[in-house]
Amino acid sequence: MAKTYDAIVVGSGACGGWAAMELSKAGMKVLMLEAGSRVEPAKDFHHTFLYEMDYRGQGKPGAMRRYSGSERNYRIMLDNEENPYTTSPETTYRWGRSRVLGGRTLHWARASDRMGEYEFKAASRDGYGMDWAVNYADMKPYYDRVESFIGISAAMEGFDQFPDGVFLPPMPLNCAEAIFTAASKSLGWPTTHRRLAQLTRMHNNRPPCHYCGNCVNGCDVGAMFSTVAVTLPPALKTGNLEVRTDTVAARVRMNNENRAQGVTYIERYTKKSVDVDAKYVILAASTLENTRLMLLSDKGGLGNSSGTLGHYMMDQVGGGGVSGILPKLKGGPSRLDDGKSAWITIPSFQNIDKKTQRKDFIRGYVINATGGQTEYPQFAASVPGYGSEWKKEIKSRYVAQARVWIAGGEMLSQKDNRVEIDPEVKDAWGIPVLKIHFTHSDNDYKIIADFQEKAEELFRKAGGEVMQGMGRGGPTGFPGAPGSPDAGTRGRNAGGGGGETGRRPLGGSIHEVGTARMSVDPREGVLTSYCRTHDIPNLYVFGGNAFPSTGDKHPTLTMMALTARGCTHLLDQAKGKKA
Amino acid sequence: MLPNLPTRRDLLDLAARAAALPGAAAFFSAWLQAADDHSHTSNSKAPPEPPLLRNYKPQFFAPEDFAALQAFTEILIPTDDTPGAREAHCAHYMDFVLQSSPPPTQTQWRNALSSLKEAGFHAADAAGRAGLVAAMSKPERDRNATHPAFAAYRLIKQQNTFAFYTSRAGMIEALDYKGNSFNETFPACNHPEHHVV
Repeated sequence: MAKTYDAIVVGSGACGGWAAMELSKAGMKVLMLEAGSRVEPAKDFHHTFLYEMDYRGQGKPGAMRRYSGSERNYRIMLDNEENPYTTSPETTYRWGRSRVLGGRTLHWARASDRMGEYEFKAASRDGYGMDWAVNYADMKPYYDRVESFIGISAAMEGFDQFPDGVFLPPMPLNCAEAIFTAASKSLGWPTTHRRLAQLTRMHNNRPPCHYCGNCVNGCDVGAMFSTVAVTLPPALKTGNLEVRTDTVAARVRMNNENRAQGVTYIERYTKKSVDVDAKYVILAASTLENTRLMLLSDKGGLGNSSGTLGHYMMDQVGGGGVSGILPKLKGGPSRLDDGKSAWITIPSFQNIDKKTQRKDFIRGYVINATGGQTEYPQFAASVPGYGSEWKKEIKSRYVAQARVWIAGGEMLSQKDNRVEIDPEVKDAWGIPVLKIHFTHSDNDYKIIADFQEKAEELFRKAGGEVMQGMGRGGPTGFPGAPGSPDAGTRGRNAGGGGGETGRRPLGGSIHEVGTARMSVDPREGVLTSYCRTHDIPNLYVFGGNAFPSTGDKHPTLTMMALTARGCTHLLDQAKGKKA
Repeated sequence: MLPNLPTRRDLLDLAARAAALPGAAAFFSAWLQAADDHSHTSNSKAPPEPPLLRNYKPQFFAPEDFAALQAFTEILIPTDDTPGAREAHCAHYMDFVLQSSPPPTQTQWRNALSSLKEAGFHAADAAGRAGLVAAMSKPERDRNATHPAFAAYRLIKQQNTFAFYTSRAGMIEALDYKGNSFNETFPACNHPEHHVV
C-alpha cells in the first residue's frame, strides 16, 4: 500500500522550506516536491571573475536565450523553453521564475521588511480595495519567529511605517550611502540601512557574510538566507522530511469528502506520472505556480467558490530611477563598495496616515540608494572620447557611481489583472501553462512619477550629477554585454502585443502577489487569514497568493511570516485544537 | 590599502570555537573550503587570465581586418601607466565571440570593418589612423558633426569597452576592482565630510 504522508509541500522556496521545517520539526512526516534540481552551495557556488569565463558571463551567443539569469547563475534560474507562459496582447509583464531546490532564495535580493499596520489596513484608510484579514499584531509574533531564525541585519529606528524587529547589527554604509543618508535626512525623510536576510555575525551555526558581493549567484557559505542553507538542514535532521527533486507537480487530487487526497507529479526526466498522498497538501511553489496548480486541479479552479481565484494579480511597480555620479567621490581610491550588495532605504513617508495623505494618488513606495565601484563600469561606453584621458575619466567616475531606484512601489489591485490556463500551450511535461493578463492603473503611473521626482530631489541634494546612459541597459548590437536585455525571461508569446497604449510600460519587481487573496468573508476571497483555502480544509497555499494588496515592502518576509502562522494553524488543526 | 583579510589560522581558530556548537562542523568545513577558494581572488591575488585569448588565432576576421581592428582598439584604450586593449586582447576577444555570433551580428561587424577600410584606416600610418579616429569620434561631442564611419566607431568602442573592463587587465589592473574577495569586515565610510550635506 502506498505511503500516506502527513503533509506534502510543493515547492522549496522561502515558504516551502519554512513549512517543511516547521512541520517536520513538529513530528509530521513530510514530502517535499521540487520541480528543479538539487544544489550544494559549497560545491556548486563559486566566486568567478568575468574574465575567467570564456564569454564573460554572457554565455556563448544564443545559448543563454532560453534561460533566465546569466552564465553565472542560470543553473539556479529557469529554462524558459521547458516552462513557457503566455500573455494577452496588452500585457508587457515578465514573470521572473526559478526552478531549483531552494527556488528564488538562492539568488534573491534578501530585502526583509515588516509590513506596517497602515499597509494591512490601507483600504480602511483610503477606501480602495480590501483590508487584509490580519493586522500587525496578528503578524508580529511570526515576524519575530522568522527573523530570529533566519537572521536579519538591520538598524532599530522606531519608524511606525517600518516596524523594527529582531535584528543583528546592520551592515556598514559605504561612502555613497553615507552621502545619500545625509542628503535624505536633511530633506527630513526617514532613512536607514537596507534590512537584509544576511548575517553580520555568526547566527544559528551559520558564518557571517564575507562581503564578496556574489549574493545573486548563490552564497557559498550560507551567510544569506536560503532554504538550502537555513531551513532544509534542520528539517532533514529530524528524519521526518523526504525531498524529491526533479518532480514537476501537475495537479492536486481530491477525494470524495472535499479534501485534498494528494498530488500528481511528473518525473522531470522520465516523464512518468506519480501519485503521492497526504493528510495535508501545501502549495508553496511560488505565487503564480500555486494558482496554476489550483486552476489545473478542478474545472473552474480548486477552492474557487468565491470566483476570485486567478484574479487581483499584482507586482510592485518598478522602473525609473536616477543614475550618475557623486562628485565628492570622484577620483578617490578604489574601495570594496559592492561587497555587501546592500544599500540604504528610505521608507514610504507619504500616504501613511491622514496627515500625509496626498490628493493626487494613494499608497506609496520605498526608495533605495547606493553607489561606488561595481564589477563592470556600465556607464563607460557612453562617456565621450577615447585614449588615456578617457581611461582616467572612467577610473575617476568608477568609484563615484551612484544610483537611486524604487524598491517597492505599491501597485493597486484590479480584478482584471489575472491569470488563467492557456487552452493551447503546454510545458515540456504536457501541463497547460498560464496566460497572464496584466496592465497598470493611473495610480501606478502616478506612484512612479512621484518617485522619480523625489529620486531626483535626493540626487540633487547629495550633489549628484546625472549621467545619461548609465545604469539600465548596456551596449547593444553584440552578444556579451552586461545589462543587455535578458531574453531568457520572455515566455512564449510574452510581450507580443503593443503594451499599454500611449505610455511607457512600467516595470515590475519580481514581487508578484495576489490571485488567491485572503478574506474574512469566503465570498470575497480564496484563502483564510491562515492561508488555508476557505473551501478545502486540508489545502494550504503559502506564497504571495493571499496578499489583498502589495504594500510597499519587499514581500518575502511577510510571505514567510504568513507561512509560519499558517503552519501553527495547521498543526493545531491536526491536533484537533482548531477547525 | 587591502581590507583586513582573515588568515587561514584565524579561520581555523574560529572554526574550532564554532565546532563546539551543534551542527557547525560540516558548515565550517565548507566555509574553510570556500575560504581557500577565495584566498586567491582577493585584490592583487585575483586569479590570472585564462590562456584562451593569449594563444588565440583570429578566426572570424580576415588578417587585414583583424590587424586594423587591433590597431583601432589600441588607439581607443592605449597602454599607458596601466594596461590597455593590447594587454587585454580586446580584438581577440571580439573575434572569439563573433565566430559564434548569429549572422546579423557578423554582418554588422563586417560592415563596420568595411567602413573603416573605406575611410582609409587600414592603409593609413599611425598618425593617419589617429587622425581618422579623431574625425570619426567627433559626432560624440558635436551633434552637428557627421562621419560615415561614426557607427563603426561606436560599435567598436562599445565592445572594446566591454572587452577591456571585463578582462583582468581592465578590471583588476586598471580599475583596481576590490570585489569578489574574501573579507572579514566591510569597510565603512569613515569620512566625516560624507556624513554632512
